Amino acid sequence: MVLTVEHPPVITLGRSGKPEHLLVSQERLEREGITVVDVERGGDITYHGPGQLVVYPILDLRDHGRDIKAYIEQLEGAAIDTLSSYGISAETRPGYPGVWVGQKKIASIGVYVRSWVTRHGLALNVEVNPEHFAMINPCGLGVDVVSMADLMNSPDWDAVEARFLARFGDRLGCTVVRGELDGLVKETA
Amino acid sequence: MDDRAIEVRLPDLGDVGRVKVVEWLVEPGSPVEMNDDLLEVETEKTTFVIPAPATGRLARIVVPAGGEANADDLLGEIERG
Repeated sequence: MVLTVEHPPVITLGRSGKPEHLLVSQERLEREGITVVDVERGGDITYHGPGQLVVYPILDLRDHGRDIKAYIEQLEGAAIDTLSSYGISAETRPGYPGVWVGQKKIASIGVYVRSWVTRHGLALNVEVNPEHFAMINPCGLGVDVVSMADLMNSPDWDAVEARFLARFGDRLGCTVVRGELDGLVKETA
Repeated sequence: MDDRAIEVRLPDLGDVGRVKVVEWLVEPGSPVEMNDDLLEVETEKTTFVIPAPATGRLARIVVPAGGEANADDLLGEIERG
């Protein structure tokens, strides 16, 4: 199962999260309506918000060869494939988590695996408010972030989402079938 | 090597560089069941809770919390039984 989400503005601190990478005051956060949440995933601090495609695959890696390295490569690769299909050349950089366009970060990754089931995932910047991102030192790296909208005309979140899911499915060797969360909740109730 | 000793080794998590052992979730000497959460390791991208590879007793911790390891390194041993 893969959940795709567009969050209201939120800052999350991962297991390597350092509070000093949050660059603004609590008052400023409250004024802007941004909450800060500690989460169990790997990685440092990051921001999620409107205009960002957040992908949460919930996969049992026992069905995928118990290969965590491959899973991460599939997730990153799906982002790179998606961007490439829009004419944006992106890559991973050893030692620098996430997906990069030149020296600027366009997607962040943070994964948690327990009982071989995956949680958290990847966040791709489609058209993100740069003022919000300026409130943190992303992933503690002191880097610039970029959105697809900086590199092309008017990317559509829904279209990018559909393309990402198709590419991710290709890499997993699966067909992605769309369902609605409401339907899922009713079935398990 | 003792036939009853099952090695706990670090799987390949990808990522460049060493993996940090965050926390052992079982005390040395304590019983464990196969697939119980045994220890938590992390890289810059991933936190992985390593499941116990066998049922028995956590006999030995080789890399304690705060330590670092590379893929396939021995992290600890479970004594089967």
